[in-house]
Amino acid sequence: MNIKKNQTTIWIIIAVLWIVCIVAGTTGHFVFGMCAGVPLMLLHMLLGVAKGGVVSKKFLIYPLAIWAVLWLISFILSGYFGNLFAGVMPTFTVLGVHPSFAPTIFLYWIGGQLTLNLGYYLLQDEWLSQEDWDSFCNKVKDMKEVK
Amino acid sequence: MSSTNALIIVAFSALMIAISFLIGIWSKKKATTAQAYFGGTAMFGPVAVGLSSMAGIASAFAMVGVPGIIYGTGNAMTFWMLSGAAFAMAYIILGKKMRAMAEIAPISSLGDICDIRFNNNRIIKALMSIVICLGCVGYLAAQISAGSALIANLVDIPPIVAGIIIFGLLTVYTALSGEVGGLLSQAFQGFIMVIASLVLIIAFFSITGGFGNVLEAVGSVAEVTGATNGITKKLGPDLLNAWGSFPGGISLTWMLIPILGCVGQPQCLTRMYAVKSPRDLPKAGLVTAVTHTIVGFLAVASAYGALYLVATGQIEPLASNDQAVYAFANHLGLWAQVLVYAAILAAALSSASMFLTSSSTLLSKDLPSALGIKIAPEKQISVSRVFMFILGAVAIVVSIYSSEMVALLGTFGWGTLVSATFPVFVVGLLWDRCTEAGALVGIAYSFVFNILPLVTGFAYPSALPGYFLTSAIAVALTVVVSLLTPKPKFNEAMQAVMDL
Repeated sequence: MNIKKNQTTIWIIIAVLWIVCIVAGTTGHFVFGMCAGVPLMLLHMLLGVAKGGVVSKKFLIYPLAIWAVLWLISFILSGYFGNLFAGVMPTFTVLGVHPSFAPTIFLYWIGGQLTLNLGYYLLQDEWLSQEDWDSFCNKVKDMKEVK
Repeated sequence: MSSTNALIIVAFSALMIAISFLIGIWSKKKATTAQAYFGGTAMFGPVAVGLSSMAGIASAFAMVGVPGIIYGTGNAMTFWMLSGAAFAMAYIILGKKMRAMAEIAPISSLGDICDIRFNNNRIIKALMSIVICLGCVGYLAAQISAGSALIANLVDIPPIVAGIIIFGLLTVYTALSGEVGGLLSQAFQGFIMVIASLVLIIAFFSITGGFGNVLEAVGSVAEVTGATNGITKKLGPDLLNAWGSFPGGISLTWMLIPILGCVGQPQCLTRMYAVKSPRDLPKAGLVTAVTHTIVGFLAVASAYGALYLVATGQIEPLASNDQAVYAFANHLGLWAQVLVYAAILAAALSSASMFLTSSSTLLSKDLPSALGIKIAPEKQISVSRVFMFILGAVAIVVSIYSSEMVALLGTFGWGTLVSATFPVFVVGLLWDRCTEAGALVGIAYSFVFNILPLVTGFAYPSALPGYFLTSAIAVALTVVVSLLTPKPKFNEAMQAVMDL
């Protein structure tokens, strides 16, 4: 996926999302603000993973899209069960954890680790292959020799 | 605590400090160039970088303050501590570009990268150096204050004596070996933190029986009052939901700023060019993920352990939330106390050495060059060594004798660093349209709105922490002003980095 021509648009969206997070947090819509934080982080990673403006579709699907979905679900479920069991003992737990906190443990923390860290490691060539790096270093070496 | 126990804890801590010192002294022979001394540039593998990054990020506050906050207010803080995914995110976002900068020019500090990206713009570099320095010195003062008080209380000596011994030694080995010794000793201290955390996490499950029992105990009583100390601790099921008792905006802040903001921390940014190859970063990401997961979970487990002990009447409610990790360790016995004190001291030492090198590099190298003061390259290391000795000595004295100054500097921290680095590095290296004017306005806003609250008491009309708004508005301004000014032109090498 080529995002080179859309970089400016992406940065405008990033600026808007920062402001959306401020407004949502200030007005008490913090779960919405947390959800808005997910595309904010995703866009930064898209820009970071792009090689010459091209984002690997493999990397986009896993780990990035799966991570984004996991975190969105996590925040929405935490908000839902937080409201449902506000002020009372929950009627069930997830492996002993409060149903509002369980998404933080299993999706945000463990799920986030397994997708981003493991996916980054497994698909590191889509981010930067040895050939990409060697090619960059040779290019820089040539430039220095010309000087 | 008995004097025998205290002596055993101090002896173990002294051994750890001695090993750190020896690592630092041994590393001196490797710190022969400015790139090695200031940046450890392109010198280290993924394990050393991963462990030192985790140790630099997990400060004494993470080991003591975070369990206290969770004990006092519930789970909002867990968004911050369970943020092991942040390292991979940071490396994905900026890892290859930061490391690539070290190929096109001799990079030894963040200021060098700022120079290359923004055509040696002195104002951007000066403002960035000042704001980052505020954050670094704030962290440094907090580590010295906490570490000195920890040992001084144990052996009943004045904090200044403990501070001079512990952080004086740290200053000596850090000044002699620079970032090389700093990084390797942090890796060792990170290893100690991981071992201690692993054992204590197992102990948590052993004494509580797991999360279910903690929820049952804490959720089934509204409050507990100590029979002898008369202190009342509010409990109840809401304490253990996702948000705890803070307003929801705090959860939003403590999720977004630590995770995305990790890429803006000097202890993460500088490590990106310390790796031998950017291809080491995915492996370093795994190391930081595993180790941060263990250390981060200790903060949660010790807070939950303390809550369980209070709710079940095994200990009285705590006089101060910050006692949570100690109360949990004290209940477990001597071996746990030794490990907890060692982990806290290791966290304080690793963060202190990280921020000592960062702030002295900024003050003795980046800021003078931004102000037009030229120091001959062959004298740069010697000048910085002297500067680091002076900074270390001043920081020890001020941290211990001026609690007001520590509190003041403590307001600068993670968020301050995010607001200083995002306009320059994140926007600057990810977007070829980012202009000098854009970065200048962004960093100038960050500078003004980090200082203004201290001088005038200014506060944003929002329940969110000020650093969140300052960071967000600084980025937005950088983007808007860049769009309003002509697109910058890069030389061939800089363009190659932007395209990587």
